[in-house]
Amino acid sequence: MEKPAPLGYGLGLRPVYYDEILASRPPIDWFEIISENYMLAGGKPLAMLDRIRADYPVVMHGVSMSLASTDPLNFDYLRQLQALAERVQPAWISDHVAWTGVHGVTLHDLLPIPYTRESLAHIVERILRVQDFLKRRLVVENASTYVSFVDSEMSEHEFVREMAERADCLLLLDVNNVFVSSFNHGFDPIAFIDGVPAERVVQFHMAGHTNNETHRVDTHDQPVCEEVWALYEHARWRCGDVSAMIERDDNYPPLSELLDELQHMRDIDARIANERALSAA
Amino acid sequence: MKLADFQSLFQERVLAGSGEADKPLLKKLRSSPRGATPETLLDVYQTGYRIRLADFVSQDHPGLRAILGDETFEALVDDYIDWRPSREPNARFFTTGLPDFMRENSPWRDDARAVSMALFERATVDAFDAADETSLAVQALADFTPEDWPRLAFDFDPSLTLLELAAGTVRAYDAAINEEEAEKVDAPTAGDQVEYAAVWRVAHESAYRQLEPDEYVALNEARAGQAFGDICQMTAFQQAGEIAPERLAQCLSSWFQDGMIIGVRVRDDHSSNTPSSA
Repeated sequence: MEKPAPLGYGLGLRPVYYDEILASRPPIDWFEIISENYMLAGGKPLAMLDRIRADYPVVMHGVSMSLASTDPLNFDYLRQLQALAERVQPAWISDHVAWTGVHGVTLHDLLPIPYTRESLAHIVERILRVQDFLKRRLVVENASTYVSFVDSEMSEHEFVREMAERADCLLLLDVNNVFVSSFNHGFDPIAFIDGVPAERVVQFHMAGHTNNETHRVDTHDQPVCEEVWALYEHARWRCGDVSAMIERDDNYPPLSELLDELQHMRDIDARIANERALSAA
Repeated sequence: MKLADFQSLFQERVLAGSGEADKPLLKKLRSSPRGATPETLLDVYQTGYRIRLADFVSQDHPGLRAILGDETFEALVDDYIDWRPSREPNARFFTTGLPDFMRENSPWRDDARAVSMALFERATVDAFDAADETSLAVQALADFTPEDWPRLAFDFDPSLTLLELAAGTVRAYDAAINEEEAEKVDAPTAGDQVEYAAVWRVAHESAYRQLEPDEYVALNEARAGQAFGDICQMTAFQQAGEIAPERLAQCLSSWFQDGMIIGVRVRDDHSSNTPSSA
């Protein structure tokens, strides 16, 4: 399996941190942008992105491709995405196993699907068309979900594995999403991670979420919790050297707190590398 | 149930909330292992949709919130979300239709000062991410002879918007973004009193200033491609009470200083599309 080279430890690029990043050049290996936030005619977001891109690798992460929607693929959107990719030259482009609306409406959310053979055939066909259009392999992420469906004919990880193999796409494993969905639906998160094709995983997402006791919501507004760090360790053991990053989208802390989370990730990975070396000796 | 039918049902639940129409969808949901009700879990999607859009409107309209007050502003946002589901991949553009919604729908169309503020704030947001151009310094005029001046025409930054507003709109906006206490924010004046403003972008940030009536007319005409000499001859400008060419030159100088001008050209008498010479 040919994969892009690992980038190290990254951060979701958000406007609140532009000035500090440009002033202090923090020890972050790469940034992930939300593609839609830069699909603009001009102005500050693109200017900041150009300056940061000059010094750091960037990957493009979308939230509006609506890969599972039964609406036609939005080629206006894909053309804008392609134009941004030509400007940014990202290491890869990602989006989600989700839909965002039908009948021309956009709900600005990553909505769930029943894991059926119909859904599988539908999303595989659309990923293949997007990959043809963009002339590159797409990286597809598992989303957090809050409802599941009696019509599902397979588990989420079986769906993701089959999708990745049939579409020959790559995967973004969102470890927090695995945890949130496993809590909400009562499946084993370890089995999920063991079930996805590790050789196709090129990126990890780590983030915080909100615990509402009866359900957890993927809010990206808190530090990564202990349970998700534990799951990250398992994912790292299974997937090896994969680019990893922290997503934060609300309740923004000082940048130093996010750098501390990246350092925690590095520390876990160093320990795993030592343990691997010892067990190999 | 086919995927398309499921998605239509699910979307309707997000847009319209719970009701009789949910029943086929509720039958398709598995029980939560944690005891959460199906309504609670579907509400995560419904409230998330509304909160996200309301946040975007709030970010773009601090002045509107200040003059309407929190409760009325939130009622406006609710009405707007109900009226027009988002159709833009980038949620930033959801707010673009708010002033038009207010102009077209009761009771909002009756509040001219609120519509005025919404228009002004939309211009500041649109200026922020308009296309990039490089502004010219006033020294660009040195390339032209005195004989060229009557036929000089100007190209303006694409971020520039000219607005006729309810009097007091700009002052109220200033107060709102400087977080002055609500009671100190004078609402714009309803009725026939107006003020004029230019909104554009400088150094990556939206900029704005009020315009005198004669400058508003001159800037509108200049942006429409009229030449310097033609604008001097305009009745409205002649009535400004000053010698027209000098007053217009003063305005022109400020447009350059403000970074509004991106091109200067000599208009051919037979064509308005003579290539730029600066």
